[in-house]
Amino acid sequence: MTDDRRNKKTQNRPSGFGNPWLQLGLSVACVLVSEFLLKRGATQVAEPDSAFSWTGINGLASPLVWWAILLIIASFISWLYVLRYIPLTIAFPLSRVVDILVPLGCWIFLGESISPLRWCGIALVIIGLALVAKPIAQIEERL
Amino acid sequence: MSILAFFFIVVSLLSFVAAQLVLKRAMEVSATSGLRNSRFLSLIAIGTALMTVSFFLTLGLLQRFDLSYLYPFQGLSVIFVALMAAVVLKEKLSLRLVIGALLISAGIMFVSMS
Repeated sequence: MTDDRRNKKTQNRPSGFGNPWLQLGLSVACVLVSEFLLKRGATQVAEPDSAFSWTGINGLASPLVWWAILLIIASFISWLYVLRYIPLTIAFPLSRVVDILVPLGCWIFLGESISPLRWCGIALVIIGLALVAKPIAQIEERL
Repeated sequence: MSILAFFFIVVSLLSFVAAQLVLKRAMEVSATSGLRNSRFLSLIAIGTALMTVSFFLTLGLLQRFDLSYLYPFQGLSVIFVALMAAVVLKEKLSLRLVIGALLISAGIMFVSMS
């Protein structure tokens, strides 16, 4: 790659708040909080005996669900931005870091214990994320 | 788990995976044709509708099952999205990415089983 081409790509690369990797992090953070809010909200208004409740629409009766929806919309907008710059085969697996942040959050902030099997699962996800993240250096070149 | 629950879990998963593919296509279109064209808007509308279906079905499932019980199915979405992105969107899928996606899925399942 010549210096001119590299300079041009560096100029075109979104930086600061527009950095797609930062937006991916924001999207993950919004999803993380919304997962807890949805579970609490859904439990508050649970009607297991009602067939209509399979649609989940009765969950809208909970204010927590509405807060979760706001966060989901925010994460959705960030996610669309991420999709514009990062291939789905890389962005989506990376976004699933949220699946280990939930149990780790419970461990760190709520003092819940993590079983050996769960630690193994967390380790597998981290190794998987590292493998997926490896090509990021190449993607950065293209941004 | 009843057949009905399994049905809703599968529909929720499939609509979520389809939504990701449609939204990615929409953003590809926006990169070349801008945001004000009918193809982009219709793809965004379809993707959002699919996400909404998946969202409400998940909300219904959360009323019946623990979040930890539903996690393995979210884990499967990693494999499905990566494979379908390679097949439908023609994205490059290296062996490294496949192994990474499989490990992430397996890890999420381990976390939910424990």
